[in-house]
Amino acid sequence: MIDMNKTLGIESKKTRLYGIIFLLIMAIILPLIFGLNLYILTLLILMVIFIIYASSWNFLTYTGQGSLGHAAFFGLGGYISAMVASASGISPYLTMLVGGGAAALVGLFIGVICVRLKEWFLAMVTFGFAIIIQTLMVSQFATVTGGWDGIAAPRLISSTVPNYLLVEYYSIVLIAALIILFFWLILRSRVGLAFAAIRENEMEARAAGIDPVRYRLFAFVVSAYFSGIAGALEIHHMGYITPEIFSVDISFWPIIYSISGGLGTLAGPIVGTIVITVLWDGLQSLGITYARFIIIGLLLVLIIIFLPKGLISLPDRVRKYFEGRQKTS
Amino acid sequence: MAGGIDVVLQVLIWGLYAGCIYILLAIGLNLIFGVMKVVNFAHGELLMLGAYITFTFYALSGFNPYVLLAASVPTLILAGIIIERLCFRPILGTGKLNEIFISIGLIYIIQNAAALIWTDEWRIIHSPYEKITISIFGVNMPLDYLIIIITTILILIVLYLFLRKTRLGKAMRATSQNRKGAMLMGINVERMDMLSFGIGAGLAGAAGTLWVVSGQVFNPYMGSIPAIKAFAIVIIGGLGSIPGAIIGGLIYGIAENFAIFTLGGAWKDAVSFIILILVLIIRPTGIFGESAE
Repeated sequence: MIDMNKTLGIESKKTRLYGIIFLLIMAIILPLIFGLNLYILTLLILMVIFIIYASSWNFLTYTGQGSLGHAAFFGLGGYISAMVASASGISPYLTMLVGGGAAALVGLFIGVICVRLKEWFLAMVTFGFAIIIQTLMVSQFATVTGGWDGIAAPRLISSTVPNYLLVEYYSIVLIAALIILFFWLILRSRVGLAFAAIRENEMEARAAGIDPVRYRLFAFVVSAYFSGIAGALEIHHMGYITPEIFSVDISFWPIIYSISGGLGTLAGPIVGTIVITVLWDGLQSLGITYARFIIIGLLLVLIIIFLPKGLISLPDRVRKYFEGRQKTS
Repeated sequence: MAGGIDVVLQVLIWGLYAGCIYILLAIGLNLIFGVMKVVNFAHGELLMLGAYITFTFYALSGFNPYVLLAASVPTLILAGIIIERLCFRPILGTGKLNEIFISIGLIYIIQNAAALIWTDEWRIIHSPYEKITISIFGVNMPLDYLIIIITTILILIVLYLFLRKTRLGKAMRATSQNRKGAMLMGINVERMDMLSFGIGAGLAGAAGTLWVVSGQVFNPYMGSIPAIKAFAIVIIGGLGSIPGAIIGGLIYGIAENFAIFTLGGAWKDAVSFIILILVLIIRPTGIFGESAE
């Protein structure tokens, strides 16, 4: 029997509802509290984009897969969307769908190779694809992609619009909410049950008539599609794109966010992205540069060892700890 | 076409030399995998540490850098043992993805600790034999390449003798063949884990020293690419197979150098994945790998 609440990672319905309402209210009022401070607003925009990205990456883990090369999809979404938008003049809000589509297509191709592979091989191959695509971008396709210099990308909203960053922010929050809602709908459907069955016991899933390859491929393509959209949003926010977008760091961030928040849950990547981003930028404002990577690395190792269900399991762990102490005293 | 054969030979020798460093990395990975069934994705960072330790001792003592293998290998064995105890042992058996993710944490820690200690500038040291070239089969080859190839062969012989002839080596092989069986025979398998991780790290340290003496530049972030190539080799050769790693490493080093020669330098890194992916499509367990794990 699979408990559906497990997919959300939060045990009680009430906390879940309050959590969602709290997050939405915070998302809406935070930029207003900080008085439209440009630094904070940019930070929030990137944070929400990375919530989309981390959630898409995390979608893979529902089927027991993992990827070390999601930057391939993030970057492809960005490149294709940027090229289509600047060639056609269509709004980036529409071209990002094309970017996502391109990422999904490549995701389908990689997925066909990968879904049959064991975890380690899968990790190595996905890692490799990000580097192959980066190489293609700077060598074979350098004439259209501008090589290492990159290309300019049209802004999401022209800077002539008053408060354009604020409009941009709210639009991205809306997109993020819709995407996460979409993930939730998939995960509570029969498809979500099939995912859980494959993850928990592939042989039994097969015996129950579930084709693991088909579902894994589906998860891979969906994950690639929304990673592509996240990539497109980021580069249209930045206004330019370079092959740096395929770097290892970009592949690792969603992993760090999802693990620290809680793998295989919807709330995990959201909580993880928020906590790590705040920590990351907090450390930067203290003037810590290399050491913050070490701190993040240590945090990751400690969470994997001592808190395998991530930060979202922390309140539960603390509560249980105190309940246990009360009983003994 | 005499010129053509010369070029082919030249590329072959480069490939052989490049293959040596990859072989040392790949064998380390395979030893660790064989005993612990863990893939250490932070293996390249151990190579980088080996390079920096060689660099530091060289700057302090001015010894011949080849002698500094005696410094980098033991230091890395120790580092490997510490990493195994603190990071991998607590999560052993909790899922393969966890092992991959903990490696990512380690990559961040090691790379940036190195950047804090040694700064992130590109470094290079010069071997005392830098300017000497020798001629083999009418092809000019730096003396350093020859020494590196011979050193690698010596290391492999020592490793072979250790695994085949000593009690400890036999216990390690037993653990990698059947962990439960080995445990029942009174082998302390956790000690074998420690040992295999230590030796694997030590081999990466040796690879680091060889990397440095061959005059290649290095910085704290240089480890990932050679590590990825070692993974490609491990996959070509089959996970856990040491002879596979040697053959895979040679094939790989030569293929890479031919690719650079024909396609251009930008393809140096991507070619490893093309090989890797081709192999995986044809044979998902590697060319020499067993059909089931």
